[in-house]
Amino acid sequence: MNFVLLVVPLAAGMLLGYFLREKRKVNFGKVTLGIILVLIFSLGFGIGSNSELLNSLPDVGLSATVIASLAIVFSVVLVKAVKRRAGLK
Amino acid sequence: MIKYIVAALMLGGIAGYLDANWATVVNSVWVSDYLLNASLILLLFVMGVAFAMDKGSFSKIRQTGPRILIVPLAIVLGTILSGVVSALVLGINVTATTAVSAGFGWYTLTGPLVSQLFGAKWGALGFAANFLRELLTILTVSLMVKVDKYAPTASGGATAMDTTLPIIVRYCGSDTLITAFSSGFVLSIIAPFMIVAIAALGRVSIPPFL
Repeated sequence: MNFVLLVVPLAAGMLLGYFLREKRKVNFGKVTLGIILVLIFSLGFGIGSNSELLNSLPDVGLSATVIASLAIVFSVVLVKAVKRRAGLK
Repeated sequence: MIKYIVAALMLGGIAGYLDANWATVVNSVWVSDYLLNASLILLLFVMGVAFAMDKGSFSKIRQTGPRILIVPLAIVLGTILSGVVSALVLGINVTATTAVSAGFGWYTLTGPLVSQLFGAKWGALGFAANFLRELLTILTVSLMVKVDKYAPTASGGATAMDTTLPIIVRYCGSDTLITAFSSGFVLSIIAPFMIVAIAALGRVSIPPFL
């Protein structure tokens, strides 16, 4: 994924939002949920159509699950431990 | 809401499978690449607008400042530790498990890179493990947010800047946008360097996997 492709729309959105801040509040909830579901659908599509990934899962699935779960647990624990130092509440 | 997410994921998976193996209706790249990127770009734009319209957002960043980089550094440390523990639990090579973990969920990078460095089998493990990190982050976000507001950011790793960012923001609030995005951004930059560095450090012979 190209970084520019992600940073530009985010920055453009922030710029627009900054100028619209005096306007009344808009609720983005419904719109974002709709687009999130499109995003997740296309993510699933990419997995379902990737036969290489699907074929490798029986072989490496268990090891991959252990590695992914431990990576998540350790990351969460460490972030929780240091987040005060990061100035987060 | 997690119901809809799981349903969309499964529908997408089934549609993708049928499209690739049964009757090709669309070129899968159209959905898994173009549609994915288009929805992502649109979401980032909308999240940017929502973030900037909230008057408290910018002052919160100013308060935190560069200290926010402690978050991705903690994730790097946690992930390296998890790689070592994984090797002990699974009884497989520690260099490979650490390199695989250092993808931080970015499977399209880790799969090919680890495959090149360690061989195809390890590449498959790198792909699957990082793909599962993303998938588990999406599926457990509603539980994880109860553990900690920043737990989904930690769990998402590099994906916190793109695919899992919309879900993180939705569950953890608009003020997590910058923390999650910057953390994912930093990890995405670090990931390829770290995988190569770990491979170079462990330049001992890697025993065949499985």
